[in-house]
Amino acid sequence: MKLRHTIAALAAAATLFSLSACASPSGSSSAGGTTTLTYQYFNNQPAAIAATKAIVADWNKANPKVHVNLVQAPADNLQDKLTTQFSGGVAPDIIQNDAPSDILPFAGYLADLNKLLPSKTIDDIDPAAKKSLTTGGKLIAAPTEVQTYLVFANKKLLEQSGATIPTGDTMTWDTFEELAKQTTTDGVRGLTWGLKSPTSVFAYLGTGFGATYFTGEGKDAKAVFGKAERQVPERVASMIKDGYIDPTGVTQSSSDVLATFYGGKAAMTVAGSYQIANIESEAPAGFDWVVLPALEGSKSASQLAAPITLSVNAKSKNVQAAADFVDFYMKGENLAKINLADGQVPPTTSGLAALAKLTDGKNGWAQVLASGKNLVTPAFNTLTKYNNWKTTVATPGYQQFLAGQISSDQLSKQLVDGWAQLNQ
Amino acid sequence: MRTRRIVIRTLQYLALAAFLLFLGFPFLWLISTAFKSSSELNSLAVNLIPSRPTLTNFTDAFEAQGLVRAAVNSIGVSLATTVIVVVISVPGAYVLARYRGRIRALGSGWILVSQIVPVALFILPLFFILRTIGLVDSPAGLVLVYVVYTLPFSLWMLQGFVAAIPVDVEEAGATDGATKLQVLARIVFPLLRPGLVATAIFTFVAAYNEFFFALVLLQSPDNFTLSVALSTFSHGEGLSRIGPLAAGALIASIPSIVVFAILQRRLTGGLLSGAVKG
Amino acid sequence: MSATRELPARERSAVRPAATGGRKTSALARRQRNEAVALAFPALIPVIVLSVVPLLIGVSLAFTDSQLISTELPNFVGADNFVRLLRNGAFWNAFGIGAVWSIAVTALQFVLGLALALLLNTDLKFRGVARFLAIIPWAMPPVVVAIMWQMIYSPTNGPLDWLIRSLGGPNVNWLGSFSLALPAVILVGVWAGMPQNTISYLAGLQQVPAELMEAARVDGAGAWSRFIHVTLPALRPIVISIVSLSFIWNFNSFGIVYVMTEGGPGGKTLLPMLFVYIEAFRNGNTGMAAAMTDVIVIFLLLMLSLFLLRRFRKGAEA
Repeated sequence: MKLRHTIAALAAAATLFSLSACASPSGSSSAGGTTTLTYQYFNNQPAAIAATKAIVADWNKANPKVHVNLVQAPADNLQDKLTTQFSGGVAPDIIQNDAPSDILPFAGYLADLNKLLPSKTIDDIDPAAKKSLTTGGKLIAAPTEVQTYLVFANKKLLEQSGATIPTGDTMTWDTFEELAKQTTTDGVRGLTWGLKSPTSVFAYLGTGFGATYFTGEGKDAKAVFGKAERQVPERVASMIKDGYIDPTGVTQSSSDVLATFYGGKAAMTVAGSYQIANIESEAPAGFDWVVLPALEGSKSASQLAAPITLSVNAKSKNVQAAADFVDFYMKGENLAKINLADGQVPPTTSGLAALAKLTDGKNGWAQVLASGKNLVTPAFNTLTKYNNWKTTVATPGYQQFLAGQISSDQLSKQLVDGWAQLNQ
Repeated sequence: MRTRRIVIRTLQYLALAAFLLFLGFPFLWLISTAFKSSSELNSLAVNLIPSRPTLTNFTDAFEAQGLVRAAVNSIGVSLATTVIVVVISVPGAYVLARYRGRIRALGSGWILVSQIVPVALFILPLFFILRTIGLVDSPAGLVLVYVVYTLPFSLWMLQGFVAAIPVDVEEAGATDGATKLQVLARIVFPLLRPGLVATAIFTFVAAYNEFFFALVLLQSPDNFTLSVALSTFSHGEGLSRIGPLAAGALIASIPSIVVFAILQRRLTGGLLSGAVKG
Repeated sequence: MSATRELPARERSAVRPAATGGRKTSALARRQRNEAVALAFPALIPVIVLSVVPLLIGVSLAFTDSQLISTELPNFVGADNFVRLLRNGAFWNAFGIGAVWSIAVTALQFVLGLALALLLNTDLKFRGVARFLAIIPWAMPPVVVAIMWQMIYSPTNGPLDWLIRSLGGPNVNWLGSFSLALPAVILVGVWAGMPQNTISYLAGLQQVPAELMEAARVDGAGAWSRFIHVTLPALRPIVISIVSLSFIWNFNSFGIVYVMTEGGPGGKTLLPMLFVYIEAFRNGNTGMAAAMTDVIVIFLLLMLSLFLLRRFRKGAEA
């Protein structure tokens, strides 16, 4: 037995040695005039990965002197990875992150894109998206993809109930609630809504009623839960009480409820625009679905600008070359490719136009594109305790409210007081 | 009397079956999920056997993530860690079990605190130390970290097993004029075999499934371990890549299963019989 | 020396796994200490550098305003973090849930693990296959465990729901129910920890001297009596080490639960370590995270000391 152990140890050591020898260092380097840059991304839908690879391949072909290597980081632990990379000084040259609130803490490590990108590109960017990524006058990232929340509907069930399918750019909440009521019959609910994580979707849709959820800046910021903020949660709670929303679905994620939607047990579902790609590929054959117009509150049909971001590491060996790559990525056709794959909306004028062309005639895309107009910068991007509040105060509070355990007033108290407690 | 034996036997088999069903079912479900198409996974159907089995999840998993390379990395790192840890732990566990006094108190204190304090708190100082030694982004660095971090519970587990060996057994061997080291090697070590096997399996699994250190310390895709490679099939709110994730996880479990199959055979006992003479 | 239970004198000395250092002469004791240091040495250096130092740094951050992403050195703030922590109601709520969770999971893991180990130690058929299946939960990484159990618990297309409904029961939303979510995740926690407990107790059972069992049987002791008076005492050091380790790990784990429930519904499965993680890695506030950790360390050490104190003082004599 001892001999066997020794052999195993030697084998392991040998493996290790060869592995170490082959380990290639990451990061950028310059050799003989060619710069090698690393682009760390997190898109993980196969179509998005393919689109990313295509964009990088196009770049490498057109720019033989600047070679970009791809590294994929896990979407769920992106923050952990970036935090240690920046703190440890091994961050890649071009970095993709999934929201302004996640990339803003790293502002000190990032290059100012206002100084590195051509003004044409900068002016092309949607103002709300640009504002969400600007801090102290510095543009720390270029927004590349924006998601919105939309209502997906089962066309057949809608028609069967005698309801008229709304057309146009927007649909009011009253119309939406009426639809849910009309399509609720025996064994079929009007709506299944995966509200396991309600805070984001309520914030997005609340924008239509003018909800901001926070006032003030930095240390003085206070949480608010006034009339505007109450609209969406209260309307949803009343729909649940009246039986138009599947109560099981309320405790599930938006992906989990798709099975109920596909199975014809619910006529509609609310989900992020990114689900359009999944629905296209997963829905059973013959499933006739449509995307309803964007939900309009009393003020507007706007949603939040919390785009996926592309940044340049200020310590990169060739900052300008990295920024040039970002500029290339921001070209209309490239943004269109990646947004099509991810089911999102480009926050640039040229990107929107290119995507409109690319999706001409495709089911549901017209509504997706329309919902991405008139974005609003969220008030909570710069609040460091927001994630904390969201996970430990807001989400539990909303869940209790939707389950009918606390009243709207109690919810308000919990949200506001919880924020105050976290910030003392 | 005989019927009583039969009844007890039957109950024992039933209990065993219940346990194995409980323990094995999720794995069965994993296998089932790996072969289901994404439309079946998103339907209301509940089937143990996929209605239309498909291999696309496996091709997706292999294609996308360099799984083979990651598997090699994981196995290499885990094996190296296990061997090193087990070898170092035996003397250390012996000390913890047999010697009273400050060493044991300090050692136990360090072990317990190290298990309680979460990685988040010391990952940065650790990262800096490793960067200074030049061992960031290398399998060797990962092995070093794994050894240091599995050592505590390996020591803790093993000292329990050492403590369970009666001192008389050692003293019997010592009276023949053998040195401490000889007693350790010839008498204690063989008696520890079941405990060593348990600790070895444990360390292997801990290193093999470990995610956070691997995520943070490894930068180049060539160095990724399986847990990092699998994590790119994120769960997330809207990203339903459960099929490829299940396929990848199934493939990733094969080395563990092989290790289990080999090592569990050594969990046969009765070694102590005859060691203590009347 | 404490009185043993009704074991005959022979067995008593055989099962005493004691350290006997204190009774020897001082010269011998010194030599033994040197031996001990020499034996433990290889493990010491990397451990001190890579483990003890970062740990001490991490734990002491609680008294500073340290930030994860910062170019400045942290400032000493005394007990400020702790004072603020006292007012964080959500954290203490989670602390309570963590206590319930870890006690329940650890206790169940012990009972079920030991039961299964006993079964695997008897000569039933298919023992090899059974032992192999007992370790299967270890073959799945935590994230996969969480996702599989989430699918099993699914109220729309999960097999558990299917089983209950075919037996005529109601549709139960396990992970979505305010009252059932914690028990449901506790079950998963137990499942994930079964291999560790089972294998350790199995190995321990196989270290029990066969003659002891024989002697007890000859003396007329029944199976249950043999279990209580021979098996359990022999297993004691192993039980103590595994249960204490399990308790710490269970209190600290949050990955599996988080993936399954994200702490819901309504915060019913929010575990304290999640707070530490968010504080450290989402807010970058390592000072506060360290304060939370210190509180957890103190709590766990207190709980364990009740359990382990006897062992340290008396050298685990039965």
